[in-house]
Amino acid sequence: MAKLLDKQRYKCALGAMQTVQAITRAIPILHSGPGCAQKLSDSIGSSGYFSPNIFPCTSINEKDVVFGGAKKLETTIENALKVIDADLYVVLTGCIPEIVGDDTAEVVSHFKDSEKPVIYASTAGFKGNNFKGHEQVIDAVIEQYLEKSDEKEKGLVNIWADVPYQDLFWLGNLRELEKLVAELGLTPNTIFGYERGIENINRIPKAQFNLLVSPWVSVGNMKKMEQKLGIPYLHYPTLPIGAFETSRFLREVGKFAGVDEEKIESIINKHEDYYYYLIERYADMFLETRVMAKQFSVVADAQYALGITKFLVNDLGLVPAKQFITDDTPKAFQKQIREEFENLNYGLKAEVSFETDSYKIHNEIQSHDYHGYPLILGGYYEKEITEKMFGHFLNISWPVQDKVVLDDAYIGYTGGIRLIEDIYSVAVQRWN
Amino acid sequence: MAYKIAVASSDGIEVNEAFGNAARFLIFTVNNETIEPPEERICTVGDESDISSVCKDNTCRGNGSRCNNYTGNAIKVEQIADCRCVVCQKIGFQVQKQLERKAISFFDVSCTVEEALSKIIKYYSRIDKHESLRK
Repeated sequence: MAKLLDKQRYKCALGAMQTVQAITRAIPILHSGPGCAQKLSDSIGSSGYFSPNIFPCTSINEKDVVFGGAKKLETTIENALKVIDADLYVVLTGCIPEIVGDDTAEVVSHFKDSEKPVIYASTAGFKGNNFKGHEQVIDAVIEQYLEKSDEKEKGLVNIWADVPYQDLFWLGNLRELEKLVAELGLTPNTIFGYERGIENINRIPKAQFNLLVSPWVSVGNMKKMEQKLGIPYLHYPTLPIGAFETSRFLREVGKFAGVDEEKIESIINKHEDYYYYLIERYADMFLETRVMAKQFSVVADAQYALGITKFLVNDLGLVPAKQFITDDTPKAFQKQIREEFENLNYGLKAEVSFETDSYKIHNEIQSHDYHGYPLILGGYYEKEITEKMFGHFLNISWPVQDKVVLDDAYIGYTGGIRLIEDIYSVAVQRWN
Repeated sequence: MAYKIAVASSDGIEVNEAFGNAARFLIFTVNNETIEPPEERICTVGDESDISSVCKDNTCRGNGSRCNNYTGNAIKVEQIADCRCVVCQKIGFQVQKQLERKAISFFDVSCTVEEALSKIIKYYSRIDKHESLRK
């Protein structure tokens, strides 16, 4: 029997057009049917110099299925180079051309001498979701654009995190990671967002090391860079939210980069002092807000499920109910991620389920006894069910209908404070 | 299941005529993936001044984009309405719409008749049998 998937939390691999869009002045050229970009674009936060409505697209139809769409792709790239002023052109293939076997690599190779770089990534929907698509785009940059550099810049660190636009807080999070890394006396380098772009991509090979902050997304990219560009990497699987995890993060990154221990501790002390000053001031709220949930569930991609669970347990002392990871995490990473959930303070362990079907997730949430009001942090899909259970709901993962985020972040010491503010803002509203 | 393919070709070798210019179509009947010798169908082209009753005032004929009621091509579309698809070198937007209404596919290509037929038949045979188009 065909399997039904109810309300999944990701898009097809072609959704990686948003990864390209997040690189300033890079544009995707879509080799796909008309309407793919329309369906895959988020309605908020994706307008600007390039937006999905102007992405060049071959708009292939039945004729191209029968007779091949290679010619159309060639003219589309040719014309995109003529009329669109971009720094990097990334051809992304949809399902149709990959099924009928258009040789995209061959067509793109005709443009290797063009003034601006043209690369391609295979992002057919049947190859995976947009988390995989994101990896494919970065792989394409590594394989087809970057060259090994003998010249190294001391202290330069490439920072990689989860998928732009899929992650609501991607921009703020990256900037916060940059700030933290810069405080250690290192030079951060990221390729996404404002004032980043091709220059930053060009700097990648000169880095001392790659820093990946994600449970599993981009691990493959790091390995590829290690092989091709000779850049070692530090994989930090937990999103550092709040004091406990952020301090651990700084210690680990500092140690890897060879930063003086005393310096690291003084940075941590400075931040923690302020962090706990805030917590102290609001201690009565934490202790006396009796409507606050005792147990919580996070329904999100691996990075938020793990990051927020650790934060709520280690920093806020809440008890984890079951956590749900919705990003279709590859099997190879599941064991390792599960172990992270078992490594919480106070000897606590969180049960975690890798589940993409919201119907099943909602059934499990409904049948669990949260010993009071449940606290559910998840996508918009969880709002209705949380309301039914009279619980507290916060929209932290895709899809997002309940929150507008321009450059807010949940990473770091300040990010932790932001998350506390958001959670308690929901809780205190119960009295209004 | 047998189906017909209309091809706009003046010499029977190359697909070399635009839909609007074609004075005749070669109608190939495909039966179990074998092609029968073509039937030649001469088209009676409608008079340009022959505007249907719905469109009496002729006001919609500006800038080359005529409305659906221009009967010149409508007659032609009617004449090949028993075909599953049309193969020609070029095809106008209005004709495309008229064909779509009758669920007739169109392929505007420049190649030999043989190549066009073999690719189209392969395509139809796969989708009729619900087979993947994967190479």
